[in-house]
Amino acid sequence: MIRYEHVGLRYGIGPEVLEDINFQLDPGSFHFLSGPSGAGKTSLLSLMYLGRMPTRGLIQMFGQNIGELGRDQLAAMRQRVGVVFQDFRLLNHMSAFDNVALPLRIQGRPEKEIQNNVAELLDWVGLGDQKYALPNTMSGGQQQRVAIARAVITRPRLLLADEPTGNLDDEIGFRLMALFDQLNKMGTTVVIATHNQAIIDKFGHKRMILEKGRLHIEEPTKHGLRKRLEGVY
Amino acid sequence: MFALLAKFRNTLSRERALGVAKGKRRYDLPLTGGSSNSFLRLLIGLMSILGMLALAASFALSAMTTRWEQGLADKITIEIPASDSAGEMIAASSVRSMTDDAAKIIGARGDVLEAEIMEESHVRELLSPWLGEDMVMDSIPIPGIISVTFEKGTKPDIKALEAEIKEVAPRARIDTHESWLSEVARFTGALQFAAILLGLIISVTTLVAVAGGVRSKLSENKEELELLHLMGASDSYIAKQLQRHTLILSLQGGIIGVIGGAVLLFIIGMVAGNMGVNLVPDFKLGADQKIMLILLPLPIAALAMFTARFTVMRVLTKMP
Repeated sequence: MIRYEHVGLRYGIGPEVLEDINFQLDPGSFHFLSGPSGAGKTSLLSLMYLGRMPTRGLIQMFGQNIGELGRDQLAAMRQRVGVVFQDFRLLNHMSAFDNVALPLRIQGRPEKEIQNNVAELLDWVGLGDQKYALPNTMSGGQQQRVAIARAVITRPRLLLADEPTGNLDDEIGFRLMALFDQLNKMGTTVVIATHNQAIIDKFGHKRMILEKGRLHIEEPTKHGLRKRLEGVY
Repeated sequence: MFALLAKFRNTLSRERALGVAKGKRRYDLPLTGGSSNSFLRLLIGLMSILGMLALAASFALSAMTTRWEQGLADKITIEIPASDSAGEMIAASSVRSMTDDAAKIIGARGDVLEAEIMEESHVRELLSPWLGEDMVMDSIPIPGIISVTFEKGTKPDIKALEAEIKEVAPRARIDTHESWLSEVARFTGALQFAAILLGLIISVTTLVAVAGGVRSKLSENKEELELLHLMGASDSYIAKQLQRHTLILSLQGGIIGVIGGAVLLFIIGMVAGNMGVNLVPDFKLGADQKIMLILLPLPIAALAMFTARFTVMRVLTKMP
Protein backbone atom coordinates (compact mmCIF):
# COMPACT_ATOMS: atom_id res chain seq x y z
CA MET A 1 0.00 0.00 0.00
CA ILE A 2 2.77 2.41 0.93
CA ARG A 3 6.23 1.56 -0.23
CA TYR A 4 9.42 3.57 0.09
CA GLU A 5 12.48 2.47 -1.84
CA HIS A 6 15.81 4.20 -1.37
CA VAL A 7 14.09 7.45 -0.53
CA GLY A 8 16.24 10.42 0.38
CA LEU A 9 15.36 13.99 1.30
CA ARG A 10 17.53 17.04 1.57
CA TYR A 11 16.64 20.70 2.03
CA GLY A 12 18.31 22.87 -0.57
CA ILE A 13 21.96 22.00 -0.90
CA GLY A 14 22.30 20.75 2.69
CA PRO A 15 23.02 17.18 3.70
CA GLU A 16 20.34 14.52 3.43
CA VAL A 17 18.03 14.58 6.43
CA LEU A 18 16.59 11.25 5.35
CA GLU A 19 18.93 8.70 3.86
CA ASP A 20 17.99 5.64 1.91
CA ILE A 21 14.64 5.05 3.59
CA ASN A 22 13.09 1.68 2.77
CA PHE A 23 9.88 0.34 4.22
CA GLN A 24 6.45 -0.92 3.37
CA LEU A 25 3.23 -0.27 5.24
CA ASP A 26 0.53 -2.84 4.68
CA PRO A 27 -3.09 -1.76 4.57
CA GLY A 28 -4.55 -1.62 8.04
CA SER A 29 -1.19 -1.62 9.82
CA PHE A 30 -0.41 0.50 12.87
CA HIS A 31 3.06 1.89 13.50
CA PHE A 32 4.60 4.22 15.99
CA LEU A 33 7.31 6.44 14.59
CA SER A 34 9.91 7.31 17.15
CA GLY A 35 13.44 8.51 17.42
CA PRO A 36 15.42 11.28 19.02
CA SER A 37 14.70 14.91 18.28
CA GLY A 38 16.17 15.96 14.95
CA ALA A 39 16.19 12.40 13.63
CA GLY A 40 13.85 13.35 10.79
CA LYS A 41 10.43 12.24 12.05
CA THR A 42 8.67 15.39 10.91
CA SER A 43 10.47 15.25 7.56
CA LEU A 44 9.41 11.65 7.03
CA LEU A 45 5.83 12.53 7.95
CA SER A 46 5.90 15.47 5.52
CA LEU A 47 6.90 13.05 2.77
CA MET A 48 4.09 10.74 3.81
CA TYR A 49 1.42 13.45 3.69
CA LEU A 50 2.90 14.70 0.41
CA GLY A 51 3.93 18.02 1.84
CA ARG A 52 7.29 17.48 0.21
CA MET A 53 8.64 15.45 -2.64
CA PRO A 54 11.70 13.24 -2.10
CA THR A 55 14.98 14.25 -3.65
CA ARG A 56 15.57 10.63 -4.63
CA GLY A 57 13.96 7.24 -4.49
CA LEU A 58 10.55 5.80 -5.21
CA ILE A 59 7.39 6.35 -3.21
CA GLN A 60 4.30 4.34 -3.94
CA MET A 61 1.03 5.18 -2.23
CA PHE A 62 -2.18 3.27 -2.71
CA GLY A 63 -0.64 1.52 -5.69
CA GLN A 64 0.52 4.64 -7.48
CA ASN A 65 3.97 6.07 -7.97
CA ILE A 66 3.65 9.61 -6.70
CA GLY A 67 6.39 10.83 -9.03
CA GLU A 68 4.13 10.12 -11.96
CA LEU A 69 1.05 11.92 -10.65
CA GLY A 70 -0.23 15.25 -11.90
CA ARG A 71 -1.18 18.08 -9.52
CA ASP A 72 -4.86 17.18 -9.37
CA GLN A 73 -4.05 13.52 -8.77
CA LEU A 74 -1.68 14.49 -5.97
CA ALA A 75 -4.46 16.61 -4.44
CA ALA A 76 -6.81 13.63 -4.64
CA MET A 77 -4.11 11.48 -3.04
CA ARG A 78 -3.73 13.97 -0.17
CA GLN A 79 -7.48 13.70 0.47
CA ARG A 80 -6.92 10.07 1.43
CA VAL A 81 -4.45 11.05 4.11
CA GLY A 82 -5.47 12.50 7.47
CA VAL A 83 -2.84 14.44 9.37
CA VAL A 84 -2.65 15.64 12.95
CA PHE A 85 0.06 18.26 13.01
CA GLN A 86 2.20 18.80 16.05
CA ASP A 87 1.22 22.48 16.14
CA PHE A 88 -2.42 21.60 15.21
CA ARG A 89 -2.54 24.13 12.36
CA LEU A 90 -6.16 25.07 12.92
CA LEU A 91 -7.69 27.94 11.00
CA ASN A 92 -8.26 30.63 13.59
CA HIS A 93 -10.92 32.48 11.64
CA MET A 94 -13.14 29.40 11.60
CA SER A 95 -15.13 27.78 14.37
CA ALA A 96 -14.19 24.34 15.64
CA PHE A 97 -17.09 22.99 13.59
CA ASP A 98 -15.87 24.55 10.36
CA ASN A 99 -12.31 23.43 11.00
CA VAL A 100 -13.46 19.84 11.32
CA ALA A 101 -15.82 20.23 8.34
CA LEU A 102 -13.09 21.61 6.10
CA PRO A 103 -11.74 18.31 4.69
CA LEU A 104 -15.28 17.22 3.86
CA ARG A 105 -15.98 20.52 2.12
CA ILE A 106 -12.77 20.22 0.16
CA GLN A 107 -13.94 16.79 -0.93
CA GLY A 108 -17.27 18.29 -1.96
CA ARG A 109 -19.37 16.14 0.37
CA PRO A 110 -23.08 17.01 0.74
CA GLU A 111 -23.72 19.65 3.40
CA LYS A 112 -26.22 17.45 5.23
CA GLU A 113 -23.63 14.72 5.66
CA ILE A 114 -21.15 17.33 6.87
CA GLN A 115 -23.59 18.71 9.44
CA ASN A 116 -24.33 15.26 10.86
CA ASN A 117 -20.87 13.77 10.88
CA VAL A 118 -19.03 16.78 12.22
CA ALA A 119 -21.49 17.30 15.04
CA GLU A 120 -21.24 13.64 16.03
CA LEU A 121 -17.48 13.61 16.00
CA LEU A 122 -17.19 16.83 17.98
CA ASP A 123 -19.53 15.39 20.57
CA TRP A 124 -17.44 12.28 20.71
CA VAL A 125 -14.17 14.10 21.29
CA GLY A 126 -15.88 16.02 24.07
CA LEU A 127 -16.26 19.31 22.24
CA GLY A 128 -20.00 19.20 21.61
CA ASP A 129 -20.43 22.45 23.51
CA GLN A 130 -17.52 24.14 21.78
CA LYS A 131 -18.70 23.88 18.20
CA TYR A 132 -18.87 27.61 17.63
CA ALA A 133 -15.71 28.42 19.53
CA LEU A 134 -12.80 29.86 17.63
CA PRO A 135 -9.59 27.88 18.10
CA ASN A 136 -7.69 30.73 19.74
CA THR A 137 -10.27 30.77 22.53
CA MET A 138 -9.73 27.07 23.25
CA SER A 139 -7.16 25.37 25.44
CA GLY A 140 -4.24 23.47 23.90
CA GLY A 141 -5.92 20.17 24.63
CA GLN A 142 -9.18 21.28 23.03
CA GLN A 143 -7.35 22.52 19.97
CA GLN A 144 -5.59 19.20 19.71
CA ARG A 145 -8.91 17.37 19.80
CA VAL A 146 -10.24 19.59 17.03
CA ALA A 147 -7.12 18.81 15.01
CA ILE A 148 -7.59 15.10 15.57
CA ALA A 149 -11.28 15.29 14.67
CA ARG A 150 -10.36 17.13 11.48
CA ALA A 151 -7.82 14.45 10.59
CA VAL A 152 -10.23 11.55 11.04
CA ILE A 153 -13.49 13.07 9.80
CA THR A 154 -12.99 11.76 6.26
CA ARG A 155 -12.05 8.27 7.46
CA PRO A 156 -8.71 8.52 5.69
CA ARG A 157 -6.92 5.49 4.34
CA LEU A 158 -3.74 6.70 5.98
CA LEU A 159 -3.69 8.59 9.24
CA LEU A 160 -0.53 10.37 10.30
CA ALA A 161 -0.18 12.05 13.65
CA ASP A 162 2.73 14.01 15.02
CA GLU A 163 2.76 13.82 18.83
CA PRO A 164 -1.05 13.71 18.98
CA THR A 165 -1.33 13.17 22.70
CA GLY A 166 1.28 15.71 23.71
CA ASN A 167 -1.10 18.25 25.24
CA LEU A 168 -3.75 15.90 26.51
CA ASP A 169 -4.38 14.48 29.92
CA ASP A 170 -4.13 10.71 30.26
CA GLU A 171 -7.84 10.03 30.01
CA ILE A 172 -8.41 12.06 26.84
CA GLY A 173 -5.13 10.76 25.40
CA PHE A 174 -6.27 7.23 26.02
CA ARG A 175 -9.66 7.88 24.38
CA LEU A 176 -8.02 9.37 21.31
CA MET A 177 -5.58 6.50 21.00
CA ALA A 178 -8.60 4.27 21.19
CA LEU A 179 -10.16 6.27 18.35
CA PHE A 180 -7.03 5.77 16.27
CA ASP A 181 -7.14 2.09 17.08
CA GLN A 182 -10.80 1.91 16.10
CA LEU A 183 -10.06 3.60 12.78
CA ASN A 184 -7.19 1.17 12.32
CA LYS A 185 -9.51 -1.75 12.86
CA MET A 186 -11.77 -0.32 10.17
CA GLY A 187 -8.89 -0.51 7.74
CA THR A 188 -7.10 2.81 8.13
CA THR A 189 -3.33 2.57 8.15
CA VAL A 190 -2.00 4.57 11.10
CA VAL A 191 1.42 6.05 11.76
CA ILE A 192 1.88 7.99 14.97
CA ALA A 193 5.05 9.89 15.71
CA THR A 194 5.55 10.04 19.43
CA HIS A 195 8.16 10.29 22.14
CA ASN A 196 5.73 8.85 24.65
CA GLN A 197 7.27 5.52 25.58
CA ALA A 198 4.35 4.67 27.85
CA ILE A 199 1.91 4.86 24.96
CA ILE A 200 4.23 2.89 22.71
CA ASP A 201 4.53 0.19 25.35
CA LYS A 202 0.86 0.21 26.20
CA PHE A 203 -0.46 -0.12 22.68
CA GLY A 204 2.02 -2.67 21.43
CA HIS A 205 2.36 -1.85 17.76
CA LYS A 206 5.37 -1.99 15.45
CA ARG A 207 7.87 0.84 15.79
CA MET A 208 9.52 2.71 13.00
CA ILE A 209 12.68 4.05 14.54
CA LEU A 210 14.50 6.91 12.89
CA GLU A 211 18.05 7.61 13.87
CA LYS A 212 20.31 10.05 12.06
CA GLY A 213 18.10 9.99 9.00
CA ARG A 214 17.97 6.20 8.75
CA LEU A 215 14.98 4.02 9.50
CA HIS A 216 14.52 0.57 10.88
CA ILE A 217 11.39 -1.23 12.03
CA GLU A 218 11.03 -3.05 15.34
CA GLU A 219 8.41 -5.58 16.33
CA PRO A 220 6.22 -4.69 19.34
CA THR A 221 7.50 -5.42 22.82
CA LYS A 222 6.16 -8.48 24.58
CA HIS A 223 4.62 -6.24 27.21
CA GLY A 224 2.81 -4.23 24.59
CA LEU A 225 1.65 -7.31 22.77
CA ARG A 226 0.27 -8.77 25.98
CA LYS A 227 -1.61 -5.54 26.68
CA ARG A 228 -3.09 -5.61 23.20
CA LEU A 229 -4.15 -9.22 23.53
CA GLU A 230 -5.70 -8.45 26.88
CA GLY A 231 -7.66 -5.67 25.18
CA VAL A 232 -6.78 -2.99 27.68
CA TYR A 233 -8.29 -0.31 25.49
CA MET B 1 -18.16 4.52 13.43
CA PHE B 2 -20.56 7.39 13.05
CA ALA B 3 -23.50 5.03 13.53
CA LEU B 4 -22.00 4.02 16.87
CA LEU B 5 -21.76 7.65 17.82
CA ALA B 6 -25.34 8.41 16.86
CA LYS B 7 -26.44 8.73 20.47
CA PHE B 8 -24.20 11.78 20.77
CA ARG B 9 -25.87 13.50 17.90
CA ASN B 10 -27.20 16.95 18.62
CA THR B 11 -29.55 18.94 16.58
CA LEU B 12 -27.86 21.71 14.65
CA SER B 13 -30.51 24.28 15.37
CA ARG B 14 -28.17 26.43 17.42
CA GLU B 15 -25.44 26.29 14.80
CA ARG B 16 -27.86 27.29 12.13
CA ALA B 17 -29.12 30.18 14.18
CA LEU B 18 -25.55 31.36 14.65
CA GLY B 19 -24.61 30.79 11.05
CA VAL B 20 -21.80 28.46 11.99
CA ALA B 21 -22.79 25.36 10.16
CA LYS B 22 -25.04 26.64 7.45
CA GLY B 23 -24.85 25.18 4.02
CA LYS B 24 -23.74 28.46 2.50
CA ARG B 25 -20.15 28.47 1.38
CA ARG B 26 -17.75 30.84 2.96
CA TYR B 27 -14.09 31.31 2.28
CA ASP B 28 -11.72 28.79 3.76
CA LEU B 29 -9.04 31.45 3.71
CA PRO B 30 -9.53 34.53 5.89
CA LEU B 31 -10.21 36.86 2.99
CA THR B 32 -12.87 39.12 4.39
CA GLY B 33 -11.95 42.30 6.22
CA GLY B 34 -8.63 44.08 6.07
CA SER B 35 -7.48 47.29 4.43
CA SER B 36 -6.33 45.54 1.26
CA ASN B 37 -9.96 44.80 0.40
CA SER B 38 -10.90 48.49 0.69
CA PHE B 39 -7.86 49.37 -1.41
CA LEU B 40 -8.86 46.97 -4.17
CA ARG B 41 -12.47 48.22 -4.08
CA LEU B 42 -11.32 51.83 -4.33
CA LEU B 43 -8.84 51.04 -7.06
CA ILE B 44 -11.45 49.28 -9.18
CA GLY B 45 -13.84 52.18 -8.55
CA LEU B 46 -11.29 54.70 -9.80
CA MET B 47 -10.38 52.52 -12.77
CA SER B 48 -14.06 52.27 -13.65
CA ILE B 49 -14.38 56.07 -13.56
CA LEU B 50 -11.33 56.49 -15.76
CA GLY B 51 -12.60 53.78 -18.08
CA MET B 52 -15.98 55.48 -18.33
CA LEU B 53 -14.38 58.82 -19.15
CA ALA B 54 -12.13 57.26 -21.78
CA LEU B 55 -15.04 55.37 -23.32
CA ALA B 56 -17.30 58.43 -23.28
CA ALA B 57 -14.53 60.49 -24.91
CA SER B 58 -14.15 57.81 -27.54
CA PHE B 59 -17.91 57.87 -28.21
CA ALA B 60 -17.85 61.67 -28.46
CA LEU B 61 -14.94 61.69 -30.89
CA SER B 62 -16.54 59.00 -32.99
CA ALA B 63 -19.82 60.95 -33.09
CA MET B 64 -17.98 64.16 -33.93
CA THR B 65 -16.12 62.58 -36.85
CA THR B 66 -19.26 60.94 -38.16
CA ARG B 67 -21.20 64.18 -38.04
CA TRP B 68 -18.47 66.16 -39.76
CA GLU B 69 -18.14 63.48 -42.41
CA GLN B 70 -21.89 63.29 -42.89
CA GLY B 71 -22.12 67.09 -43.03
CA LEU B 72 -19.65 67.28 -45.88
CA ALA B 73 -20.59 64.10 -47.67
CA ASP B 74 -21.97 64.57 -51.18
CA LYS B 75 -20.84 68.19 -51.11
CA ILE B 76 -18.26 70.01 -53.18
CA THR B 77 -17.25 73.63 -53.48
CA ILE B 78 -16.33 75.14 -56.83
CA GLU B 79 -14.06 78.14 -56.69
CA ILE B 80 -13.57 80.53 -59.61
CA PRO B 81 -10.40 82.50 -58.73
CA ALA B 82 -10.37 86.24 -59.25
CA SER B 83 -6.94 86.21 -60.85
CA ASP B 84 -5.55 84.67 -64.01
CA SER B 85 -2.59 82.30 -64.34
CA ALA B 86 -0.21 85.27 -64.53
CA GLY B 87 -1.52 86.60 -61.22
CA GLU B 88 -3.34 89.51 -62.84
CA MET B 89 -6.69 90.43 -61.36
CA ILE B 90 -9.76 89.53 -63.38
CA ALA B 91 -12.61 91.94 -63.54
CA ALA B 92 -15.36 91.19 -61.07
CA SER B 93 -17.91 91.03 -63.92
CA SER B 94 -15.84 88.34 -65.67
CA VAL B 95 -15.60 86.34 -62.46
CA ARG B 96 -19.37 86.61 -62.04
CA SER B 97 -19.94 85.57 -65.66
CA MET B 98 -17.66 82.52 -65.33
CA THR B 99 -19.37 81.62 -62.07
CA ASP B 100 -22.81 81.81 -63.71
CA ASP B 101 -21.62 79.62 -66.62
CA ALA B 102 -20.22 77.07 -64.22
CA ALA B 103 -23.49 77.12 -62.25
CA LYS B 104 -25.40 76.46 -65.46
CA ILE B 105 -23.25 73.36 -66.14
CA ILE B 106 -23.91 72.16 -62.61
CA GLY B 107 -27.59 72.93 -62.86
CA ALA B 108 -27.87 70.88 -66.06
CA ARG B 109 -26.75 67.72 -64.26
CA GLY B 110 -29.34 65.25 -63.07
CA ASP B 111 -27.48 64.20 -59.91
CA VAL B 112 -27.35 67.62 -58.25
CA LEU B 113 -29.70 68.21 -55.37
CA GLU B 114 -28.77 71.80 -54.76
CA ALA B 115 -26.32 74.32 -56.19
CA GLU B 116 -25.94 77.78 -54.80
CA ILE B 117 -23.75 80.64 -55.83
CA MET B 118 -22.44 82.23 -52.69
CA GLU B 119 -23.35 85.91 -52.54
CA GLU B 120 -20.39 88.25 -52.66
CA SER B 121 -21.57 89.87 -49.46
CA HIS B 122 -21.58 86.49 -47.76
CA VAL B 123 -18.04 85.75 -48.94
CA ARG B 124 -16.91 89.16 -47.69
CA GLU B 125 -18.56 88.42 -44.38
CA LEU B 126 -16.65 85.15 -44.14
CA LEU B 127 -13.38 86.86 -44.98
CA SER B 128 -13.89 89.86 -42.70
CA PRO B 129 -12.37 88.27 -39.58
CA TRP B 130 -9.06 87.93 -41.44
CA LEU B 131 -9.09 91.02 -43.61
CA GLY B 132 -10.98 93.47 -41.48
CA GLU B 133 -14.12 95.40 -42.32
CA ASP B 134 -12.58 98.61 -43.54
CA MET B 135 -12.53 99.95 -47.04
CA VAL B 136 -9.74 97.60 -48.14
CA MET B 137 -12.31 94.84 -48.49
CA ASP B 138 -14.05 96.63 -51.33
CA SER B 139 -10.86 96.79 -53.38
CA ILE B 140 -10.10 93.09 -53.05
CA PRO B 141 -11.49 90.94 -55.86
CA ILE B 142 -13.70 88.21 -54.51
CA PRO B 143 -13.63 84.73 -56.09
CA GLY B 144 -16.81 83.11 -57.29
CA ILE B 145 -17.91 80.26 -55.07
CA ILE B 146 -20.55 77.66 -55.81
CA SER B 147 -21.66 75.28 -53.11
CA VAL B 148 -22.96 72.03 -54.63
CA THR B 149 -24.86 69.23 -52.95
CA PHE B 150 -25.28 66.03 -54.91
CA GLU B 151 -28.10 63.55 -54.50
CA LYS B 152 -27.33 61.20 -51.63
CA GLY B 153 -25.26 58.19 -52.59
CA THR B 154 -24.30 59.43 -56.07
CA LYS B 155 -20.66 59.24 -56.96
CA PRO B 156 -20.02 61.94 -59.53
CA ASP B 157 -16.88 61.86 -61.66
CA ILE B 158 -15.23 64.95 -60.18
CA LYS B 159 -12.36 65.00 -62.68
CA ALA B 160 -14.75 64.98 -65.65
CA LEU B 161 -16.84 67.68 -63.99
CA GLU B 162 -13.77 69.80 -63.34
CA ALA B 163 -12.68 69.45 -66.98
CA GLU B 164 -16.15 70.49 -68.10
CA ILE B 165 -16.15 73.58 -65.86
CA LYS B 166 -12.62 74.52 -66.91
CA GLU B 167 -14.00 75.03 -70.43
CA VAL B 168 -15.94 78.06 -69.17
CA ALA B 169 -13.66 79.00 -66.26
CA PRO B 170 -10.11 77.81 -67.00
CA ARG B 171 -8.77 78.33 -63.43
CA ALA B 172 -11.74 76.82 -61.66
CA ARG B 173 -10.97 74.46 -58.75
CA ILE B 174 -13.18 71.85 -57.14
CA ASP B 175 -12.74 71.22 -53.44
CA THR B 176 -14.20 67.92 -52.27
CA HIS B 177 -13.12 68.68 -48.65
CA GLU B 178 -11.26 65.39 -48.64
CA SER B 179 -7.98 66.81 -47.43
CA TRP B 180 -9.69 68.73 -44.61
CA LEU B 181 -11.73 65.70 -43.65
CA SER B 182 -8.66 63.49 -43.66
CA GLU B 183 -6.93 66.00 -41.37
CA VAL B 184 -9.93 65.90 -39.05
CA ALA B 185 -10.02 62.11 -39.25
CA ARG B 186 -6.31 61.96 -38.39
CA PHE B 187 -6.83 64.30 -35.45
CA THR B 188 -9.83 62.49 -34.05
CA GLY B 189 -8.12 59.17 -34.79
CA ALA B 190 -5.16 60.28 -32.68
CA LEU B 191 -7.51 61.26 -29.87
CA GLN B 192 -9.31 57.94 -30.13
CA PHE B 193 -5.98 56.13 -30.06
CA ALA B 194 -5.15 58.06 -26.91
CA ALA B 195 -8.46 56.92 -25.43
CA ILE B 196 -7.68 53.31 -26.35
CA LEU B 197 -4.20 53.71 -24.86
CA LEU B 198 -5.77 55.04 -21.69
CA GLY B 199 -8.06 52.01 -21.66
CA LEU B 200 -5.03 49.75 -22.00
CA ILE B 201 -3.22 51.56 -19.22
CA ILE B 202 -6.31 51.16 -17.04
CA SER B 203 -6.40 47.44 -17.84
CA VAL B 204 -2.71 46.93 -17.13
CA THR B 205 -2.90 48.96 -13.92
CA THR B 206 -5.89 46.89 -12.80
CA LEU B 207 -4.07 43.72 -13.70
CA VAL B 208 -0.88 44.64 -11.85
CA ALA B 209 -2.73 45.97 -8.80
CA VAL B 210 -5.00 42.94 -8.55
CA ALA B 211 -2.08 40.54 -9.00
CA GLY B 212 -0.18 42.41 -6.29
CA GLY B 213 -3.22 42.41 -4.01
CA VAL B 214 -3.78 38.69 -4.49
CA ARG B 215 -0.11 37.91 -3.90
CA SER B 216 -0.16 39.94 -0.73
CA LYS B 217 -3.35 38.15 0.41
CA LEU B 218 -1.74 34.81 -0.26
CA SER B 219 1.40 35.86 1.52
CA GLU B 220 -0.62 37.05 4.55
CA ASN B 221 -2.38 33.69 4.63
CA LYS B 222 0.51 31.46 3.66
CA GLU B 223 -0.04 28.98 6.49
CA GLU B 224 -3.74 28.63 5.78
CA LEU B 225 -3.01 28.24 2.09
CA GLU B 226 -0.48 25.48 2.77
CA LEU B 227 -2.92 23.76 5.05
CA LEU B 228 -5.65 23.70 2.42
CA HIS B 229 -3.11 22.39 -0.06
CA LEU B 230 -2.05 19.61 2.33
CA MET B 231 -5.65 18.66 3.00
CA GLY B 232 -6.06 17.92 -0.67
CA ALA B 233 -7.61 21.13 -1.94
CA SER B 234 -6.91 21.32 -5.65
CA ASP B 235 -5.36 24.43 -7.14
CA SER B 236 -8.66 25.17 -8.77
CA TYR B 237 -10.56 24.88 -5.46
CA ILE B 238 -8.26 27.44 -3.84
CA ALA B 239 -8.19 29.69 -6.90
CA LYS B 240 -12.00 29.76 -7.01
CA GLN B 241 -12.13 31.31 -3.56
CA LEU B 242 -9.76 34.10 -4.51
CA GLN B 243 -11.55 34.54 -7.83
CA ARG B 244 -14.92 34.89 -6.17
CA HIS B 245 -13.56 37.23 -3.53
CA THR B 246 -11.89 39.42 -6.17
CA LEU B 247 -14.98 39.40 -8.37
CA ILE B 248 -17.22 40.55 -5.52
CA LEU B 249 -14.80 43.32 -4.48
CA SER B 250 -14.41 44.41 -8.10
CA LEU B 251 -18.15 44.56 -8.67
CA GLN B 252 -18.59 46.59 -5.49
CA GLY B 253 -15.83 48.94 -6.64
CA GLY B 254 -17.35 48.99 -10.12
CA ILE B 255 -20.76 50.10 -8.82
CA ILE B 256 -19.10 52.93 -6.91
CA GLY B 257 -17.15 53.78 -10.07
CA VAL B 258 -20.24 53.83 -12.28
CA ILE B 259 -22.03 56.19 -9.93
CA GLY B 260 -18.95 58.43 -9.67
CA GLY B 261 -18.38 58.30 -13.43
CA ALA B 262 -22.02 59.16 -14.19
CA VAL B 263 -21.90 62.18 -11.88
CA LEU B 264 -18.64 63.30 -13.46
CA LEU B 265 -19.94 62.91 -17.01
CA PHE B 266 -23.07 64.84 -16.09
CA ILE B 267 -20.95 67.68 -14.68
CA ILE B 268 -18.68 67.68 -17.74
CA GLY B 269 -21.75 67.77 -20.00
CA MET B 270 -23.19 70.69 -18.07
CA VAL B 271 -19.94 72.66 -18.06
CA ALA B 272 -19.35 72.05 -21.79
CA GLY B 273 -22.95 73.07 -22.56
CA ASN B 274 -22.62 76.31 -20.61
CA MET B 275 -19.36 77.21 -22.35
CA GLY B 276 -21.25 77.55 -25.64
CA VAL B 277 -18.48 75.95 -27.64
CA ASN B 278 -19.55 75.71 -31.29
CA LEU B 279 -16.43 74.10 -32.61
CA VAL B 280 -17.67 70.62 -31.88
CA PRO B 281 -21.15 69.41 -32.66
CA ASP B 282 -23.57 68.74 -29.83
CA PHE B 283 -22.98 65.36 -28.31
CA LYS B 284 -25.47 63.17 -26.52
CA LEU B 285 -24.93 59.56 -25.49
CA GLY B 286 -27.23 57.04 -27.09
CA ALA B 287 -29.06 54.41 -25.05
CA ASP B 288 -26.69 51.67 -26.21
CA GLN B 289 -23.70 53.80 -25.29
CA LYS B 290 -25.13 54.50 -21.86
CA ILE B 291 -25.63 50.76 -21.35
CA MET B 292 -22.03 50.13 -22.41
CA LEU B 293 -20.80 52.70 -19.90
CA ILE B 294 -22.92 51.24 -17.12
CA LEU B 295 -21.73 47.73 -17.92
CA LEU B 296 -18.08 48.77 -18.11
CA PRO B 297 -17.28 47.47 -14.60
CA LEU B 298 -18.22 43.96 -15.76
CA PRO B 299 -15.22 43.48 -18.07
CA ILE B 300 -13.03 45.20 -15.47
CA ALA B 301 -14.29 42.81 -12.79
CA ALA B 302 -13.84 39.86 -15.15
CA LEU B 303 -10.29 41.00 -15.85
CA ALA B 304 -9.63 41.27 -12.12
CA MET B 305 -11.14 37.84 -11.53
CA PHE B 306 -9.05 36.11 -14.17
CA THR B 307 -5.95 37.92 -12.95
CA ALA B 308 -6.66 36.62 -9.44
CA ARG B 309 -7.03 33.08 -10.77
CA PHE B 310 -3.87 33.27 -12.83
CA THR B 311 -1.90 34.69 -9.89
CA VAL B 312 -3.13 32.03 -7.46
CA MET B 313 -2.39 29.24 -9.90
CA ARG B 314 1.12 30.57 -10.38
CA VAL B 315 1.74 30.84 -6.65
CA LEU B 316 0.39 27.33 -6.06
CA THR B 317 2.66 25.75 -8.63
CA LYS B 318 5.51 26.54 -6.25
CA MET B 319 3.98 24.06 -3.82
CA PRO B 320 4.64 20.32 -4.44
